[in-house]
Amino acid sequence: MDKARWHIPITVVLLCLGIMLSLQFQAQTRVASDLTFQRTETLIAMVRSLSEKRQKLALEITDLGNQLRSQMESSRDEKKLLESIYAEREKMRIVNGTTALKGPGLTITIEEHMPIIYTDLLNIINELWNAGAEAISLNEYRITSHSTISVAEDAYHEDGYSIFMTVNHEKLEYPIIIKTIGNPNNLEKGLTLPGGIMDNLALFNAYPEIEKVEELELPAIEKPTSYYFMKEYKPTEKDKEKTTKTTTPQEIINPLKNIAPR
Amino acid sequence: MWFLLPVLGLIIGTYLGSNITFQLPPIYIKYMSIAVLASLDSVFGGIKAILEDTFDGTILLSGFFTNALLAALLAYLGDRLGVDLYYAAVFAFGIRIFQNLAAIRHHSLTKYRQRKARIRGERNG
Repeated sequence: MDKARWHIPITVVLLCLGIMLSLQFQAQTRVASDLTFQRTETLIAMVRSLSEKRQKLALEITDLGNQLRSQMESSRDEKKLLESIYAEREKMRIVNGTTALKGPGLTITIEEHMPIIYTDLLNIINELWNAGAEAISLNEYRITSHSTISVAEDAYHEDGYSIFMTVNHEKLEYPIIIKTIGNPNNLEKGLTLPGGIMDNLALFNAYPEIEKVEELELPAIEKPTSYYFMKEYKPTEKDKEKTTKTTTPQEIINPLKNIAPR
Repeated sequence: MWFLLPVLGLIIGTYLGSNITFQLPPIYIKYMSIAVLASLDSVFGGIKAILEDTFDGTILLSGFFTNALLAALLAYLGDRLGVDLYYAAVFAFGIRIFQNLAAIRHHSLTKYRQRKARIRGERNG
Protein backbone atom coordinates (compact mmCIF):
# COMPACT_ATOMS: atom_id res chain seq x y z
CA MET A 1 0.00 0.00 0.00
CA ASP A 2 1.31 3.41 -0.92
CA LYS A 3 1.31 5.26 2.36
CA ALA A 4 1.34 8.83 1.03
CA ARG A 5 -1.77 8.05 -1.01
CA TRP A 6 -4.06 7.46 1.96
CA HIS A 7 -2.41 9.87 4.39
CA ILE A 8 -2.94 13.04 2.44
CA PRO A 9 -6.72 12.70 1.81
CA ILE A 10 -7.45 11.60 5.35
CA THR A 11 -5.41 14.48 6.75
CA VAL A 12 -7.36 16.94 4.62
CA VAL A 13 -10.63 15.35 5.68
CA LEU A 14 -9.68 15.40 9.35
CA LEU A 15 -8.57 19.05 9.07
CA CYS A 16 -11.99 20.00 7.70
CA LEU A 17 -13.69 17.85 10.34
CA GLY A 18 -11.69 19.62 13.09
CA ILE A 19 -12.77 23.04 11.82
CA MET A 20 -16.40 21.97 11.56
CA LEU A 21 -16.36 20.31 14.98
CA SER A 22 -14.95 23.31 16.81
CA LEU A 23 -17.30 25.70 14.97
CA GLN A 24 -20.27 23.55 15.86
CA PHE A 25 -19.04 23.22 19.44
CA GLN A 26 -18.76 26.99 19.83
CA ALA A 27 -22.17 27.58 18.30
CA GLN A 28 -23.76 24.94 20.51
CA THR A 29 -22.22 26.37 23.73
CA ARG A 30 -23.39 29.83 22.64
CA VAL A 31 -26.91 28.52 22.14
CA ALA A 32 -26.85 26.67 25.46
CA SER A 33 -25.96 29.88 27.27
CA ASP A 34 -28.65 31.81 25.39
CA LEU A 35 -31.60 32.86 27.56
CA THR A 36 -34.29 31.51 25.22
CA PHE A 37 -32.91 27.96 25.57
CA GLN A 38 -32.75 28.04 29.39
CA ARG A 39 -35.10 26.07 31.59
CA THR A 40 -37.90 27.99 33.30
CA GLU A 41 -36.61 27.15 36.79
CA THR A 42 -33.16 28.52 36.04
CA LEU A 43 -34.71 31.62 34.52
CA ILE A 44 -36.81 32.17 37.64
CA ALA A 45 -33.77 31.70 39.85
CA MET A 46 -31.79 34.11 37.70
CA VAL A 47 -34.53 36.73 37.84
CA ARG A 48 -34.78 36.34 41.61
CA SER A 49 -31.05 36.68 42.21
CA LEU A 50 -30.80 39.62 39.85
CA SER A 51 -33.68 41.48 41.47
CA GLU A 52 -32.12 40.82 44.88
CA LYS A 53 -28.86 42.21 43.59
CA ARG A 54 -30.68 45.23 42.21
CA GLN A 55 -32.35 45.88 45.58
CA LYS A 56 -29.00 45.65 47.32
CA LEU A 57 -27.49 48.08 44.86
CA ALA A 58 -30.39 50.50 45.30
CA LEU A 59 -29.87 50.34 49.07
CA GLU A 60 -26.20 51.04 48.52
CA ILE A 61 -27.09 54.04 46.38
CA THR A 62 -29.27 55.56 49.10
CA ASP A 63 -26.61 54.74 51.68
CA LEU A 64 -23.93 56.46 49.68
CA GLY A 65 -26.22 59.41 49.03
CA ASN A 66 -26.73 59.83 52.78
CA GLN A 67 -23.01 59.60 53.30
CA LEU A 68 -22.41 62.23 50.67
CA ARG A 69 -24.98 64.54 52.22
CA SER A 70 -23.49 64.18 55.71
CA GLN A 71 -20.01 64.72 54.33
CA MET A 72 -21.15 67.86 52.56
CA GLU A 73 -22.81 69.10 55.72
CA SER A 74 -19.71 68.48 57.76
CA SER A 75 -17.58 70.22 55.16
CA ARG A 76 -19.96 73.17 55.26
CA ASP A 77 -19.63 73.26 59.04
CA GLU A 78 -15.89 73.11 58.68
CA LYS A 79 -16.00 76.00 56.26
CA LYS A 80 -18.03 78.02 58.75
CA LEU A 81 -15.58 77.16 61.48
CA LEU A 82 -12.70 78.13 59.28
CA GLU A 83 -14.35 81.42 58.41
CA SER A 84 -14.93 82.23 62.05
CA ILE A 85 -11.33 81.31 62.81
CA TYR A 86 -10.15 83.63 60.05
CA ALA A 87 -12.35 86.41 61.39
CA GLU A 88 -10.95 85.78 64.86
CA ARG A 89 -7.41 85.89 63.54
CA GLU A 90 -8.11 89.14 61.75
CA LYS A 91 -9.45 90.60 64.97
CA MET A 92 -6.43 89.39 66.91
CA ARG A 93 -4.15 90.95 64.34
CA ILE A 94 -5.93 94.28 64.66
CA VAL A 95 -5.78 94.11 68.43
CA ASN A 96 -2.12 93.12 68.47
CA GLY A 97 -1.30 95.85 65.99
CA THR A 98 0.22 93.67 63.30
CA THR A 99 -1.92 95.30 60.61
CA ALA A 100 -2.23 98.91 59.59
CA LEU A 101 -5.64 100.35 60.43
CA LYS A 102 -7.94 103.12 59.32
CA GLY A 103 -11.00 104.68 60.81
CA PRO A 104 -12.42 107.87 62.30
CA GLY A 105 -10.81 109.39 65.34
CA LEU A 106 -8.66 112.18 66.74
CA THR A 107 -5.23 113.56 66.17
CA ILE A 108 -3.46 115.37 69.01
CA THR A 109 -0.50 117.45 67.97
CA ILE A 110 2.15 118.49 70.46
CA GLU A 111 4.69 121.11 69.39
CA GLU A 112 8.21 121.34 70.70
CA HIS A 113 7.65 124.54 72.66
CA MET A 114 5.01 122.95 74.87
CA PRO A 115 6.27 121.97 78.30
CA ILE A 116 5.21 118.34 78.18
CA ILE A 117 7.01 115.40 79.72
CA TYR A 118 6.56 111.69 79.11
CA THR A 119 4.13 111.18 81.99
CA ASP A 120 1.82 113.65 80.29
CA LEU A 121 1.94 111.48 77.19
CA LEU A 122 1.11 108.46 79.34
CA ASN A 123 -1.76 110.33 80.90
CA ILE A 124 -3.12 111.37 77.53
CA ILE A 125 -2.89 107.80 76.23
CA ASN A 126 -4.50 106.39 79.38
CA GLU A 127 -7.26 108.94 79.08
CA LEU A 128 -7.79 107.96 75.43
CA TRP A 129 -8.03 104.27 76.35
CA ASN A 130 -10.52 105.22 79.05
CA ALA A 131 -12.57 107.21 76.55
CA GLY A 132 -12.93 104.14 74.36
CA ALA A 133 -10.04 104.43 71.95
CA GLU A 134 -9.63 101.30 69.88
CA ALA A 135 -6.11 101.92 68.60
CA ILE A 136 -3.48 104.54 69.30
CA SER A 137 -0.24 105.46 67.62
CA LEU A 138 2.51 107.84 68.69
CA ASN A 139 4.09 109.33 65.57
CA GLU A 140 4.82 106.16 63.57
CA TYR A 141 4.74 103.79 66.55
CA ARG A 142 1.63 101.79 67.37
CA ILE A 143 0.85 101.64 71.06
CA THR A 144 0.29 98.05 72.13
CA SER A 145 0.49 96.17 75.40
CA HIS A 146 4.27 95.98 74.89
CA SER A 147 4.91 99.63 74.11
CA THR A 148 7.17 101.61 76.41
CA ILE A 149 7.13 105.36 76.83
CA SER A 150 10.06 106.72 78.73
CA VAL A 151 12.70 109.39 78.87
CA ALA A 152 16.36 109.28 77.94
CA GLU A 153 19.40 111.52 78.06
CA ASP A 154 21.41 112.38 75.03
CA ALA A 155 25.01 112.63 76.20
CA TYR A 156 26.33 113.55 72.77
CA HIS A 157 23.98 116.42 72.05
CA GLU A 158 25.54 119.53 70.59
CA ASP A 159 24.36 121.60 73.57
CA GLY A 160 26.13 119.13 75.80
CA TYR A 161 23.10 117.81 77.57
CA SER A 162 19.49 117.17 76.69
CA ILE A 163 16.55 115.03 77.67
CA PHE A 164 14.17 113.55 75.19
CA MET A 165 11.19 111.27 75.29
CA THR A 166 11.29 107.76 73.85
CA VAL A 167 8.72 105.37 72.63
CA ASN A 168 9.76 101.75 72.27
CA HIS A 169 13.32 102.95 73.05
CA GLU A 170 13.33 105.20 69.99
CA LYS A 171 13.65 108.93 70.13
CA LEU A 172 10.35 110.74 69.75
CA GLU A 173 10.65 113.57 67.23
CA TYR A 174 8.63 116.77 67.33
CA PRO A 175 5.92 117.50 66.45
CA ILE A 176 4.48 114.57 68.36
CA ILE A 177 1.26 113.46 66.71
CA ILE A 178 -0.98 111.09 68.63
CA LYS A 179 -3.43 109.38 66.36
CA THR A 180 -6.30 107.44 67.83
CA ILE A 181 -9.21 105.55 66.34
CA GLY A 182 -12.52 105.56 68.12
CA ASN A 183 -15.67 107.64 68.42
CA PRO A 184 -14.22 111.19 67.87
CA ASN A 185 -16.80 112.92 70.07
CA ASN A 186 -16.33 110.53 72.98
CA LEU A 187 -12.56 110.78 72.71
CA GLU A 188 -12.64 114.56 72.65
CA LYS A 189 -14.98 114.71 75.62
CA GLY A 190 -12.72 112.32 77.52
CA LEU A 191 -9.81 114.67 77.01
CA THR A 192 -11.49 118.00 77.48
CA LEU A 193 -13.87 117.33 80.36
CA PRO A 194 -13.53 119.90 83.15
CA GLY A 195 -10.66 119.03 85.47
CA GLY A 196 -9.42 116.53 82.88
CA ILE A 197 -6.06 116.14 81.26
CA MET A 198 -6.39 119.19 79.03
CA ASP A 199 -7.23 121.46 81.96
CA ASN A 200 -4.31 119.93 83.77
CA LEU A 201 -1.95 120.68 80.90
CA ALA A 202 -3.36 124.19 80.55
CA LEU A 203 -2.02 124.87 84.05
CA PHE A 204 1.45 124.39 82.58
CA ASN A 205 0.58 126.53 79.58
CA ALA A 206 0.48 123.59 77.23
CA TYR A 207 -2.33 123.48 74.74
CA PRO A 208 -2.10 120.40 72.53
CA GLU A 209 -4.08 120.73 69.35
CA ILE A 210 -7.01 118.33 69.11
CA GLU A 211 -8.54 117.65 65.75
CA LYS A 212 -11.37 115.34 64.74
CA VAL A 213 -10.61 113.37 61.59
CA GLU A 214 -13.02 111.43 59.41
CA GLU A 215 -10.48 108.87 58.33
CA LEU A 216 -7.16 108.19 60.01
CA GLU A 217 -4.46 105.74 59.05
CA LEU A 218 -2.52 104.00 61.79
CA PRO A 219 0.69 102.08 61.08
CA ALA A 220 1.32 98.47 62.05
CA ILE A 221 3.91 97.58 64.67
CA GLU A 222 7.35 97.06 63.24
CA LYS A 223 7.97 93.56 64.56
CA PRO A 224 5.39 91.37 66.19
CA THR A 225 6.18 90.14 69.65
CA SER A 226 7.09 86.47 69.90
CA TYR A 227 6.03 84.44 72.86
CA TYR A 228 8.20 81.61 74.10
CA PHE A 229 7.44 81.11 77.75
CA MET A 230 3.76 81.82 78.17
CA LYS A 231 1.38 78.90 78.18
CA GLU A 232 -2.33 78.78 78.73
CA TYR A 233 -3.22 77.79 82.26
CA LYS A 234 -6.37 75.79 82.80
CA PRO A 235 -7.29 75.27 86.44
CA THR A 236 -7.58 71.55 87.31
CA GLU A 237 -10.62 70.16 89.13
CA LYS A 238 -8.97 70.62 92.51
CA ASP A 239 -8.13 74.23 91.83
CA LYS A 240 -11.63 74.84 90.60
CA GLU A 241 -13.04 73.42 93.80
CA LYS A 242 -10.79 75.67 95.80
CA THR A 243 -11.80 78.74 93.86
CA THR A 244 -15.48 77.89 93.88
CA LYS A 245 -15.34 77.31 97.62
CA THR A 246 -14.16 80.77 98.21
CA THR A 247 -16.24 82.55 95.63
CA THR A 248 -19.60 80.78 95.28
CA PRO A 249 -22.52 82.99 96.14
CA GLN A 250 -23.88 80.09 98.21
CA GLU A 251 -21.07 80.62 100.70
CA ILE A 252 -22.20 84.14 101.08
CA ILE A 253 -25.86 83.23 101.27
CA ASN A 254 -25.36 80.32 103.67
CA PRO A 255 -24.73 82.40 106.77
CA LEU A 256 -27.96 84.23 106.10
CA LYS A 257 -29.73 80.89 105.79
CA ASN A 258 -28.37 79.87 109.14
CA ILE A 259 -29.66 83.02 110.61
CA ALA A 260 -33.05 82.93 108.93
CA PRO A 261 -34.72 80.15 110.98
CA ARG A 262 -33.79 81.73 114.27
CA MET B 1 5.33 7.78 12.10
CA TRP B 2 3.06 8.41 9.12
CA PHE B 3 -0.11 7.79 11.12
CA LEU B 4 0.62 10.97 13.15
CA LEU B 5 -0.08 13.20 10.13
CA PRO B 6 -3.92 12.80 10.24
CA VAL B 7 -3.88 13.35 14.01
CA LEU B 8 -1.85 16.53 13.46
CA GLY B 9 -4.39 17.56 10.82
CA LEU B 10 -7.23 17.10 13.28
CA ILE B 11 -5.42 19.14 15.97
CA ILE B 12 -4.59 21.97 13.54
CA GLY B 13 -8.18 21.96 12.27
CA THR B 14 -9.61 22.24 15.79
CA TYR B 15 -7.15 25.04 16.59
CA LEU B 16 -8.07 26.94 13.41
CA GLY B 17 -11.78 26.48 14.06
CA SER B 18 -11.53 27.75 17.63
CA ASN B 19 -9.48 30.78 16.57
CA ILE B 20 -11.60 31.70 13.57
CA THR B 21 -13.60 34.92 14.05
CA PHE B 22 -16.48 33.58 11.98
CA GLN B 23 -19.50 32.74 14.09
CA LEU B 24 -22.10 30.34 12.87
CA PRO B 25 -25.54 31.99 12.72
CA PRO B 26 -27.95 30.25 15.13
CA ILE B 27 -30.38 29.22 12.35
CA TYR B 28 -27.72 27.05 10.64
CA ILE B 29 -26.64 25.20 13.77
CA LYS B 30 -29.09 22.39 13.07
CA TYR B 31 -27.81 21.84 9.51
CA MET B 32 -24.21 22.17 10.62
CA SER B 33 -24.75 19.44 13.19
CA ILE B 34 -26.06 17.04 10.57
CA ALA B 35 -23.15 17.95 8.27
CA VAL B 36 -20.71 17.20 11.09
CA LEU B 37 -22.41 13.85 11.61
CA ALA B 38 -22.06 13.01 7.89
CA SER B 39 -18.38 14.05 7.98
CA LEU B 40 -17.73 11.85 10.99
CA ASP B 41 -19.31 8.95 9.13
CA SER B 42 -17.08 9.60 6.12
CA VAL B 43 -13.94 9.73 8.28
CA PHE B 44 -14.77 6.46 10.02
CA GLY B 45 -15.58 4.94 6.67
CA GLY B 46 -12.19 6.08 5.41
CA ILE B 47 -10.41 4.53 8.37
CA LYS B 48 -12.30 1.28 7.82
CA ALA B 49 -11.28 1.33 4.16
CA ILE B 50 -7.62 1.78 5.13
CA LEU B 51 -7.82 -1.21 7.43
CA GLU B 52 -9.55 -3.26 4.72
CA ASP B 53 -6.97 -2.10 2.16
CA THR B 54 -9.76 -0.79 -0.12
CA PHE B 55 -8.93 2.90 0.42
CA ASP B 56 -9.53 5.38 -2.39
CA GLY B 57 -8.68 9.04 -1.73
CA THR B 58 -11.07 10.41 -4.36
CA ILE B 59 -14.01 8.46 -2.98
CA LEU B 60 -13.22 9.60 0.54
CA LEU B 61 -12.90 13.31 -0.37
CA SER B 62 -15.97 13.36 -2.60
CA GLY B 63 -17.96 11.35 -0.08
CA PHE B 64 -16.90 13.64 2.72
CA PHE B 65 -18.03 16.86 1.09
CA THR B 66 -21.08 15.60 -0.79
CA ASN B 67 -22.38 13.65 2.18
CA ALA B 68 -22.06 16.67 4.45
CA LEU B 69 -23.65 19.02 1.93
CA LEU B 70 -26.43 16.64 1.00
CA ALA B 71 -27.25 15.88 4.61
CA ALA B 72 -27.50 19.58 5.41
CA LEU B 73 -29.58 20.22 2.27
CA LEU B 74 -31.87 17.31 3.03
CA ALA B 75 -32.46 18.56 6.54
CA TYR B 76 -33.19 22.03 5.14
CA LEU B 77 -35.57 20.60 2.55
CA GLY B 78 -37.31 18.62 5.27
CA ASP B 79 -37.78 21.80 7.27
CA ARG B 80 -39.23 23.51 4.20
CA LEU B 81 -41.60 20.64 3.45
CA GLY B 82 -42.63 20.10 7.05
CA VAL B 83 -41.11 16.61 7.16
CA ASP B 84 -38.47 16.00 9.77
CA LEU B 85 -35.84 14.55 7.43
CA TYR B 86 -33.30 15.73 10.03
CA TYR B 87 -34.13 12.74 12.20
CA ALA B 88 -33.88 10.40 9.23
CA ALA B 89 -30.37 11.71 8.51
CA VAL B 90 -29.38 11.42 12.18
CA PHE B 91 -30.68 7.89 12.24
CA ALA B 92 -29.01 6.81 9.01
CA PHE B 93 -25.63 8.38 9.78
CA GLY B 94 -25.76 7.20 13.39
CA ILE B 95 -26.25 3.61 12.29
CA ARG B 96 -23.49 3.88 9.72
CA ILE B 97 -21.08 5.41 12.23
CA PHE B 98 -21.67 2.56 14.65
CA GLN B 99 -21.28 0.01 11.88
CA ASN B 100 -18.04 1.61 10.74
CA LEU B 101 -16.74 1.76 14.32
CA ALA B 102 -17.61 -1.92 14.79
CA ALA B 103 -15.81 -2.82 11.56
CA ILE B 104 -12.75 -0.78 12.59
CA ARG B 105 -12.67 -2.56 15.94
CA HIS B 106 -13.08 -5.92 14.26
CA HIS B 107 -10.29 -5.35 11.75
CA SER B 108 -7.83 -3.88 14.20
CA LEU B 109 -8.41 -6.78 16.59
CA THR B 110 -7.85 -9.39 13.89
CA LYS B 111 -4.71 -7.56 12.69
CA TYR B 112 -3.41 -7.37 16.25
CA ARG B 113 -4.01 -11.10 16.76
CA GLN B 114 -2.36 -11.95 13.45
CA ARG B 115 0.73 -9.96 14.37
CA LYS B 116 0.86 -11.54 17.82
CA ALA B 117 0.62 -15.01 16.27
CA ARG B 118 3.33 -14.13 13.78
CA ILE B 119 5.67 -12.89 16.50
CA ARG B 120 5.03 -16.05 18.56
CA GLY B 121 5.60 -18.21 15.48
CA GLU B 122 8.90 -16.41 14.76
CA ARG B 123 10.01 -16.92 18.38
CA ASN B 124 9.11 -20.61 18.31
CA GLY B 125 10.57 -21.20 14.93
